Amino acid sequence: METLRQSAAEQFSEELENLKKQDSGKVPAGWQMSPQSVVTYLMGGKLKNNFEISPKYIGDRRLMEVAVATLTTDRALLLYGIPGTGKSWVSEHITTAVTGDASLLIQGTAGLGEEAIRYGWNYAKLLAEGPTESALVITPLMRAMKTGAIARIEELTRISADVQDTLITVLSEKIMPIPELSMEVRANKGFNVVATANNRDKGVNELSSALKRRFNTVILPTPNTAAEEINIVKTRVASSIKSLELPAEVPSLKEIERIVQIFRELRHGVTTDGRTKLKSPTSTVSTAEAISVVNNGLSLAAHFGNGELTAYDVASSLVGAIVKDPVQDAVVWKEYLETVVKTREDWKDIYRACKEIG
Amino acid sequence: MSIHILGIRHHGVGSAKQLKNELERLQPDIILVEGPPEITEVFTYVGEKALQPPVAIMVYNSVDPKESTFYPFASYSPEWVAISHANKNKIPVRALDLPAAISFEKARIQSENKKEEAEDANSEIDKPLPIIPQDPISILAETDGFSSGEAWWEHHFEYNTIESEAHFKSVYHVMNALREEGLKSSLDDENVAREAYMRQIITEARNEMYENIVVVCGAWHAPALTDVDSYVKEDRKTLKQLPKTKIKTIATWIPWTNKRLSMASGYGAGIYSPGWYNHLWVTEEDTEINWLTKVAETFRANKIDTSTAHVIESFKLARSLAAIRNKHFVSLSEMNDAIRSVMCMGDEILLDYVNKELIIGNALGTVPNDIPKMPLQEDFEINLKQLRLKLTADPKIYQLDLRKELDQNRSTFFHRLELLNLNWLVRRSSRTKGTFKETWEAQWSPDMMIALIDNGFLGNTVEAAAQAVVVNECINAKKIETIATLLQKSIPAELFEDLHILISRINEIASISVDILDLLKALPNLINISRYGDVRNSDLSVLNHIVQQLLIKVNTSLANACYGLDEENSSAMFEEISKLNHAIGIYDDAEIEAEWFATLHKILHKDGVHPIIIGCVCRLLLDGQQFTDEVADQHISYALSINNLPETVAAWLQGFLKGSGMILIYDNRLWNLIYTWVSTLNKETFIELLPMLRRSFSNFEFSERRQIGEKAKEGIITEKTTKTTLDSNFDEDLANSILPTIAHFLTPQS
Repeated sequence: METLRQSAAEQFSEELENLKKQDSGKVPAGWQMSPQSVVTYLMGGKLKNNFEISPKYIGDRRLMEVAVATLTTDRALLLYGIPGTGKSWVSEHITTAVTGDASLLIQGTAGLGEEAIRYGWNYAKLLAEGPTESALVITPLMRAMKTGAIARIEELTRISADVQDTLITVLSEKIMPIPELSMEVRANKGFNVVATANNRDKGVNELSSALKRRFNTVILPTPNTAAEEINIVKTRVASSIKSLELPAEVPSLKEIERIVQIFRELRHGVTTDGRTKLKSPTSTVSTAEAISVVNNGLSLAAHFGNGELTAYDVASSLVGAIVKDPVQDAVVWKEYLETVVKTREDWKDIYRACKEIG
Repeated sequence: MSIHILGIRHHGVGSAKQLKNELERLQPDIILVEGPPEITEVFTYVGEKALQPPVAIMVYNSVDPKESTFYPFASYSPEWVAISHANKNKIPVRALDLPAAISFEKARIQSENKKEEAEDANSEIDKPLPIIPQDPISILAETDGFSSGEAWWEHHFEYNTIESEAHFKSVYHVMNALREEGLKSSLDDENVAREAYMRQIITEARNEMYENIVVVCGAWHAPALTDVDSYVKEDRKTLKQLPKTKIKTIATWIPWTNKRLSMASGYGAGIYSPGWYNHLWVTEEDTEINWLTKVAETFRANKIDTSTAHVIESFKLARSLAAIRNKHFVSLSEMNDAIRSVMCMGDEILLDYVNKELIIGNALGTVPNDIPKMPLQEDFEINLKQLRLKLTADPKIYQLDLRKELDQNRSTFFHRLELLNLNWLVRRSSRTKGTFKETWEAQWSPDMMIALIDNGFLGNTVEAAAQAVVVNECINAKKIETIATLLQKSIPAELFEDLHILISRINEIASISVDILDLLKALPNLINISRYGDVRNSDLSVLNHIVQQLLIKVNTSLANACYGLDEENSSAMFEEISKLNHAIGIYDDAEIEAEWFATLHKILHKDGVHPIIIGCVCRLLLDGQQFTDEVADQHISYALSINNLPETVAAWLQGFLKGSGMILIYDNRLWNLIYTWVSTLNKETFIELLPMLRRSFSNFEFSERRQIGEKAKEGIITEKTTKTTLDSNFDEDLANSILPTIAHFLTPQS
């Protein structure tokens, strides 16, 4: 049996080993490499022994520098942005590079209770022994405090506001009181929190300003240029071919370029040449969606086609990704199809393919 | 005897600090500072209380101020530091560089050559732009792994604390190494002459038996100035080749702003962060914490909650960032990144406050009153005195009565300043009606003086400068409308001298233009202006002629221009036709009016014209009494006939009613026609039409709508128009006597 998706530490173990070996900078307490090496791990580059590090984040280096520098101070890091801009991806990789372990994860949901952040009780033991330390159920956050590691909180804004606030004491005082046992857990050096949050989604709970103040915020933007976005889609899809064992060829650059262009144009509400104004769909059309469209297309091509990615393989997931609201988005998409796609000479195939789907 | 060459970076704070120490150490008996020799004479003002940086020295050609150049100084400019030191210690200070007069002459020759070349090349082919000279330091920076020359210089020379002597030595060595590499830059040609002149000035100082000479110049020049004697032969040749000039230049101090410091000028490129530099210069210690406190204050002033904890965390993050970037100091980019992340929740927009208010800053310099002023500025101040006007920061309202001479002159002056885009005065609408009243609101801010000085090259008097603006804009104008607006502005500004240029330009454009909408837009203005002719004692008969010619053009092509327009363009056309019709009414020339109505008839009978235009034309002809009752009936009922598409009728009505329901209230015949039309509509069509009809009816006055509603209650009006029976007391002569007055009221005033 093999896991569907390897953790970052497993997938990039060689890169991490090499980085550690070649590291000449000062390593902060609880870290496994110097901050400079963490930035290199994220942005990619060549080491002194000519070992090539692949880029994990494609975009502004400044943002990653701020993120890593934040973790060297004792402030928590908040990665903020619209869905699909790579927040969780960056959070996993930055944690992996700093501590070698990204598994201390709290998945934020609307139903998350306080006991998932602070601690819970093993009720059988609690009844048998009364409140003792061994009856405690330790959360990832508490484990991170005890071991001086980094805890990750995904989708912080989905957690209800009162539960969010339990984080405040942990982040400012670095202690977690356990009044039942009249004791407290004090965080070891190296402890920190990396959280991700959505700013544009249904049902998000705005952070209180007390909590906001405990975080340094880095906003991850949508890619600056088409070239950057194509690069992201290409590298992510190439790696998923490996992990999903799709027999299809690595997709042609042309198809990826086209999908990225469609997504960019719809997102910005204007065609690339700036001549035609477009309506934007109700949902965000992010780079992550573009990646999943190409992946979907690839698996279609692999299992039902001749293994080569064609417009027909892409069309159905493309329409699905863009048309989220059956009424409004359908109009937007139809207009786009008729006014932009149809007029492009070499886009005839994709126009026909999309037309067939409806 | 010793000569010390101190290479600096213009506006570099680090350079300034080192220079200050080095001057204290060397105690020179003369200082030579980079800059054209002409500015030496105004150096004496430095140190006076009234001269507060940011300021600039302006050098201009006394005959043609258009030829000018600026040398800005901030309190942290090394040049400023050097001059201050000299004045404080009562030692002579001189500028050394190529004289500005020669630079002007060279520029003139160059532009003439270019013109000739352009003419030779038939001026059609676009010349490739001159390649921007790559800063030699940036080549060095690249090899050292820095993103720009600025960053490299900053890293090595701005934030170091080594002894000033060693600092200048290392700067010298770096530059020397670069120059020995023989890197080519497109500035080389210019630099040869400049450096030759610099050496000559150094030699002069030496011949005057000064013992301890300090030369402060851009770092790049330093290696070329050390060994003056080895260049003697070359220099003699270079200097001989320089153009002879008779240009007389004048140098003066003018106030400057931080914003302007960030623009390129005489001392090369501008600086991006004058406010930050100033902070570095004045803050002795803890620059980072002081800066962050200022940022927090700025945010608080803009109602953004910022706590001391924010400041602490920003400082920590900025330091960590510097460490990650391998810097031994915290520079502005780390500051900004930290502030963005900690204080702004990652939001770039909030950082704009910091950028505008702190990083650039809004400092404004002052200059003493007794400083020589440039001609335009002097003329401006003479005008102020003569017209008894004051420059005040509080808003002041001027109510002008144009029948008084003083007010008339003020109005002229204000109109001229308006043309110069000086925002001192804003025209307000007068409360009283009538053409002899004008209201202006004046509010002075010191940076307006700089805006005025900017216009200095346009002319030596406010009048001449305003005139130049008009002529320039006229030459670049592509549309008659633009020129009509210029004409309209020129007349109250009493700029009559060059009116013929405007008029002939109109003629020129009109003869080649096919843009009928432009003509339509321009004509009402032109007609208004041509009526001014006798009021303002200027000969505008030429303009009359042009108006008539333009009208012929309109008459011949308007009908075709109306063909096949979509709704949006038709609405625009409908507006313009109505306006022109009104203007022609004012023009009051029977022949022209007849031709105009003939054109309208043509449009009326043309196919493919949008109903909104047809409706409008129909109404204009009806108002102009060009229809007999019978014909009018025919047209109206044709337009309202049941077989027409409902939206066609709605559009026609919109054009016909022209935003006023009066005609429906007073013309029963028309009322009946429309009433019948509405009653023929079935329910669905009516609901469909409602929005369109509402569009035309909702513009009516409330009282009109009420009256129409009341009239609708009565349904079709059957009785003939009621005639008022004449009273036996009616005195026809008496009644007639008031008609001219009423006529006067009814004539539209422009």
